[in-house]
Amino acid sequence: MDFQYLKNKRLLLVDDEQELLDMVVSILKEDGFNQIATAKTEKEALTLADNFQPELAILDVMLPDGNGFSLMEQLKEKGEYPILFLTARGEDEDKFKGFGLGADDYIVKPFLPKELIFRIMAILRRSYKGENPLVKLQNSEIDFDRAEVIKNGEHIALTAKEHDILAVLYRNAGRIVTIDALCEAAWGENPFGYENSLMAHIRRIREKIELNPSHPVSLITVKGLGYKLIAGGN
Amino acid sequence: MKSVPKLIRRFVGILLLSSILLVILNIALLVIFTMKQLPNAQPWQTAEEVVNALHQTADGNYVLTDEMALELNEADVWGIFIDNDTKQVVWKTDNLPDTVPTTYTLSDIASLTRGYISDYPTFTGEAENGLVVLGYPPKSFWKHMWSSWDYQLIANLPKTVLTAMIINVTVIFLIYVIANTKLLKSVKPITKGIQDLSIGEPVQIKESGLLSEISANINRTSDILQSQKYQLRKKETARANWIAGVSHDIRTPLSMVMGYAGQLKDDTLLSEEERQKAAVIVKQSERMRNLINDLNLASKLEYDMQPINLEKQNLIAIVRQVVVDFINMDIEDKYPIEWETDETLTVCHVNADKDLIKRAVSNLLQNCINYNEQGCKIYVCVTATGENCIITVSDDGVGATDEQIEKLNSTPHYMVCDENTTEQRHGLGLLIVKQILSSHGGDTIVEHSIYGGFAVKLTLPMI
Repeated sequence: MDFQYLKNKRLLLVDDEQELLDMVVSILKEDGFNQIATAKTEKEALTLADNFQPELAILDVMLPDGNGFSLMEQLKEKGEYPILFLTARGEDEDKFKGFGLGADDYIVKPFLPKELIFRIMAILRRSYKGENPLVKLQNSEIDFDRAEVIKNGEHIALTAKEHDILAVLYRNAGRIVTIDALCEAAWGENPFGYENSLMAHIRRIREKIELNPSHPVSLITVKGLGYKLIAGGN
Repeated sequence: MKSVPKLIRRFVGILLLSSILLVILNIALLVIFTMKQLPNAQPWQTAEEVVNALHQTADGNYVLTDEMALELNEADVWGIFIDNDTKQVVWKTDNLPDTVPTTYTLSDIASLTRGYISDYPTFTGEAENGLVVLGYPPKSFWKHMWSSWDYQLIANLPKTVLTAMIINVTVIFLIYVIANTKLLKSVKPITKGIQDLSIGEPVQIKESGLLSEISANINRTSDILQSQKYQLRKKETARANWIAGVSHDIRTPLSMVMGYAGQLKDDTLLSEEERQKAAVIVKQSERMRNLINDLNLASKLEYDMQPINLEKQNLIAIVRQVVVDFINMDIEDKYPIEWETDETLTVCHVNADKDLIKRAVSNLLQNCINYNEQGCKIYVCVTATGENCIITVSDDGVGATDEQIEKLNSTPHYMVCDENTTEQRHGLGLLIVKQILSSHGGDTIVEHSIYGGFAVKLTLPMI
């Protein structure tokens, strides 16, 4: 997967514990992120927001001079970039509050390094997809902005539903997405009885992206559960 | 509250019955009394006898038989005989008082027939050519002097009596109702209060009226119950908060253990053995994380502090999401999951808290992983029976003995563990599953898997 450009994004980390900051920085660096700034207080974070111009912020909820929720609101006033919470507060109310205020994700401590990286990458991919419009697949490329597939030099248009379904699959590339999540992406909340329509759409997407739609290599069926998009060219 | 109208009905019934009984009794008494006290016609008969016993002698004088004269004398009765033509007294007894006149006009005679002569009640008997008048001692008889009624009055008598009776009953009834309304009014809040007490509601009844003492007692009982409830709640809240606090405080240090161990596990500069050790740390800290999450949720569910947001949910979608999350996480494919739900069954609606059901199912999957370190195949199946949705999570792993399964099924879901605490080393996974299912009106059944391992069946009522 060529998401290398996302590793150059500026990340702002806010947590009151130095050791935790050190660890997260080391995890991020190991994965290839190279522009990371850390702050231990709300005040520091706000200063950094002006000087460092972060493109993604990771906040703790409890800070010595305030809390992450109010910090998020202030950061949102300064700039438009994704914010995720990384906190020891695992209560549902906190999660709802975080999402309600517009957080992009909410990770409860403790976490595994690969979980953290995955969540950060998912958000970055969603927020900064425009910079690399072409998604490479085994036998074709998808241009989400123009809603088309390029296969063998040929441009094939995607319908709105096909685009939505592919977008969700791409966001979770390499992971299974359930039938229900795909139906929800295409037909809105509480979609019932669209399974057959979904199958029809998947078949049409395969005709566009696969060399041999009967033997798909990029859009894989996981029987009874959902579908998986294998991104990345050869 | 149903008992109050019943009570009123009973009261009114008794009242009506007693009124009717009273009326019947009165009529009976009246009849018996009047039967005994028929208008006394005896003096009139005596007067007739005197007429018969009075004979005119040859010289024109009148003579009474001796026994009749004696009888009159003994009863202290005087008598006179008034001649038809002269209106003069032509015969009299010896004891005739002076005040009795000897000459009578027609009006005198009419008056004495109805009434009295100088307070002596008088009775008449008709003879061939005159009138016998007997005078009884004063105050021996009472005479009905104006003995005439309006004809309508007599003709309408039955109607009048009936009307009077109805009016009587109504009046009595009204008096009764008014008198009792007050009592019932004060009874009503008391019954309501007792009912509220029984369901644990706080009760505050106005302490006035006839039954103020009872109201006061009920209020006091309610206060005691409420304060006990409050104390208990406070204790439970403190315990749950304590658990929440501890699990919160463990999260940050644990994330550092997990984070660095996770890094070391994938560090290619380390030897295979060192990375293996790091992997163990990661795995054990993941277990700790699960335990913290479980402990917190279990205590909240136990003390009813976990908000349960029931909504109409498609159970199949929920289970599918959990299964997919596990498959996405299990990179080594050590625990392959088979989705065995019939493909034609796409929707199974239940009233459920999505996050909690997710938690229950993922606990079951996590259990399969925890108990089968060497790896196992997991089978997940959702079926619908018409009334229930059933989730079955089974594996082909080590399984459990009949005894263990029996024990898991019979253990109550609440957090009581007085016996050997070694039981708890398997974590709270299944306990939480049971708690969640019971809070959804569902069921948890542990059994042998048809694949040779362990199986858990979750039953949720369908909507």
